[in-house]
Amino acid sequence: MLLLQLLINGLQLGAIYALTAVGFALIFGSTRIFHVAHGAAFTLAAYLFWWSFTKLHWHWLAALVLAAAVVIAFGVAMERWIYRPIQRHEGAFFTVFIAAFGMQIVVQNAVGTVFGRGFETVTVALSRAVPVATGLYVAPVAAVAIGTAIVCFIALAWFLTRTHIGTALRALSDNPDLVRVFGLDPARLAQVAFALGSALVVPGAALTAATQGINPNIGAHIMLISLAATIVGGIGSLTGAACGGLLLGLAESLALWKLDAQWSEGVTFVILFVFIIFRPAGFLGRPIGAK
Amino acid sequence: MQAYLTNLAVLIGINAILAVTLNFVLGYAGIFSMAHAVFFGVGAYTATWVAIKLGGGLLLATGAGMAVAALISLALALPALRVRGEYFVAASLGLQMLAITVFSEWKAFTGGIGGITNIPPASLFGFQFTTPAQYLVLTLACLAAVIAIVRALVRGSFGRSLKAIRDNETAASTYGKNVAVIKTIAVAVSSSLAAVAGALYAFYMSFVNVESFVLDTSVLLIAMVVIGGVATLTGPIVGTLLILLLPAALSYLPGLPSTEIGSIQQIVYGAAMVLLMIFRPGGVWSLRRREGDPR
Amino acid sequence: MTGAHEVLLETERLSVSFGGLRAVDDVSLALRAGIVTTLVGPNGAGKTTLFNLITGHLAPHAGSVRWLGRRITGQPHWRIARAGIGRTFQDLKLFDHMSVLDNVLAVTERDAWLWQRGGAAGAAQRLARAEAALQAVGLADRRHARALDLAYAQRKFLSVARLLASGARLWLLDEPASGLDPRSYERFLALLREQVAHGCTICIIEHNLDIVVGISDRIVFLDQGRVLAEGDPKSILSDPNLAAIYFGERIQ
Repeated sequence: MLLLQLLINGLQLGAIYALTAVGFALIFGSTRIFHVAHGAAFTLAAYLFWWSFTKLHWHWLAALVLAAAVVIAFGVAMERWIYRPIQRHEGAFFTVFIAAFGMQIVVQNAVGTVFGRGFETVTVALSRAVPVATGLYVAPVAAVAIGTAIVCFIALAWFLTRTHIGTALRALSDNPDLVRVFGLDPARLAQVAFALGSALVVPGAALTAATQGINPNIGAHIMLISLAATIVGGIGSLTGAACGGLLLGLAESLALWKLDAQWSEGVTFVILFVFIIFRPAGFLGRPIGAK
Repeated sequence: MQAYLTNLAVLIGINAILAVTLNFVLGYAGIFSMAHAVFFGVGAYTATWVAIKLGGGLLLATGAGMAVAALISLALALPALRVRGEYFVAASLGLQMLAITVFSEWKAFTGGIGGITNIPPASLFGFQFTTPAQYLVLTLACLAAVIAIVRALVRGSFGRSLKAIRDNETAASTYGKNVAVIKTIAVAVSSSLAAVAGALYAFYMSFVNVESFVLDTSVLLIAMVVIGGVATLTGPIVGTLLILLLPAALSYLPGLPSTEIGSIQQIVYGAAMVLLMIFRPGGVWSLRRREGDPR
Repeated sequence: MTGAHEVLLETERLSVSFGGLRAVDDVSLALRAGIVTTLVGPNGAGKTTLFNLITGHLAPHAGSVRWLGRRITGQPHWRIARAGIGRTFQDLKLFDHMSVLDNVLAVTERDAWLWQRGGAAGAAQRLARAEAALQAVGLADRRHARALDLAYAQRKFLSVARLLASGARLWLLDEPASGLDPRSYERFLALLREQVAHGCTICIIEHNLDIVVGISDRIVFLDQGRVLAEGDPKSILSDPNLAAIYFGERIQ
């Protein structure tokens, strides 16, 4: 029974991780920018949701909208005011990485100063676990998590394959000049990528607040998961990133069967490392070929 | 007052060793390590174990720390550096987070969350370092040695290889450079020298615990290197000074709640990093001379 | 015309595919000492991919490459470079933030360790080689300038200097002459002739047909990854079928 419990929790966690990882992979895949401030976006979304829902007593939908609006603005602003000026100058991996990194530090500490450094949770009816069978407790929020992830992925897939902008986004990473030939502006597309990728953290952030709870340091953990999922799934593949996120969530949860909770990051690291050694291309990535 | 200044100077010296060694991989080779604090910790814990369990002196303890740090860094770097740079970032971040758990759980070696106290003073050929002033001299001597080693490497063929790899990795490999091995060696050198700082720290504080070796520490070290100035020998020292003196400077500003000084410090250097990358990627030290002199 | 020039590099039925596309298809050719071979063909014909296969930056799916009689297929590129195969790039790939001298010195320092073997004597030898290379291309007086600050023609010569200093016996040059003024071009030609006279073999990718005629001893015409024809410049370039393919009208 415990195993089944852990499996369900793993699916719930995996759904959250998959959503966040796909957001990162989308941004990195389209714009080639290593947006390590993605974790900061997650932190912002989580705290804004928690604060407006718990402290301001807004309706959960309004809280979500607030979180989404701020996070999208954050992503777009990062692209417009930070990444783009850097790329005009020189745009080396180093400069982009450090700038994103600095932003992550600022946001994490600002959130801690404004909202407090403690551990916060959002309690809703959905997060109360109900006994489903002997020894099996499931909270409806698990179904919400999995369902939301599925819905988001279907919507995303439709967007990327059926819409003009979506197809252009997929072309952007391979050939920015080609995109210009078709009359689209790579800069605008980059903003779409950042907006979309950042928005994808919102469901995961809200669900994390409702389940495990949040504190200002979750950004680092989420960043590690997003990076690991992208690598494990294969750089260049969104499906891979989603699968990677799911795998990491399941592994983290199932590890509790034998290990204590503080080893969860260790589990992530081990999986990441195994892939780096044996299959650097990830599940679905393009093979690492000539440079 | 003098005690305060001496203590601050020792800490600046230790952090400067960490910054200079991190700059070796980050600035000169373009390798992004989020795990530098891990090797700091490995050096500290190993030196402690040797001092307490084996009665070892400064040289043995430091040497052991360097060896263990080098081995762990090889285990990290050999696989991760074969592939793209982004992988090393992820792997080092993972290592740092894993290390926190290991440092907190492995009671036999690290004393767990409580850490280890009553570390005997460092002894060198019978002389025991007991006062802060003595540790200051020791630290400065070690810092000078580390700078000398890094300088020799950077100015020689190894430095040229690193800069070639940083400037154009494809060309470097086309002209016969075994890029993965060279990068791995750079990481091993950097990590083992960082362990020296760890040993010094353990002996000076006569107390080690995991709180000194967490992700925030690795982040702080990256900030020192980046803000001070990458790929220069003086830059990281400037960065260390700026960042460690910042809390003292901030405490003079009226109206800042003392509980928030840590956060505000981090916000300041986080913002500094962002602004520098937009306007002056070479760091503060590059402001004083024409950008991009061949070094 | 080729006479008794020994074969230095030989590819045998070399093939590589990307997805479903055969980028290099069953290519067998021989590069001989003392001969300048030029690869021509329309865009996407697989010329640069062929270079990547030879230098070991890309692994073939079929076929083999032999250098000085030994199989080098599948070896890591740094080992192939040390065996004497050198290459330039269309976008030069200089070490921009390093000095001219350092660009060339770096190439002579092959050992992947904290120091090079040979001690002080070895260092002096490497420095002498680097200086000689700079002399040969006329950049000796600019040795301390930053590579980024050089004029375009000088940057091209610096990339050749790196090749010279590496002591490579096979030179793979990717559009080396584009953008050079006539005088620089003449100097460049002279350099190539001198290398070839010393027993090197040179293989060039070139689009400009005037340059092709001026430089080549032999031409290999590639299209869609396959060798369509090879021979001396006159006969290849006067073939109307090849011309049609080159300029985009496929008769086939």
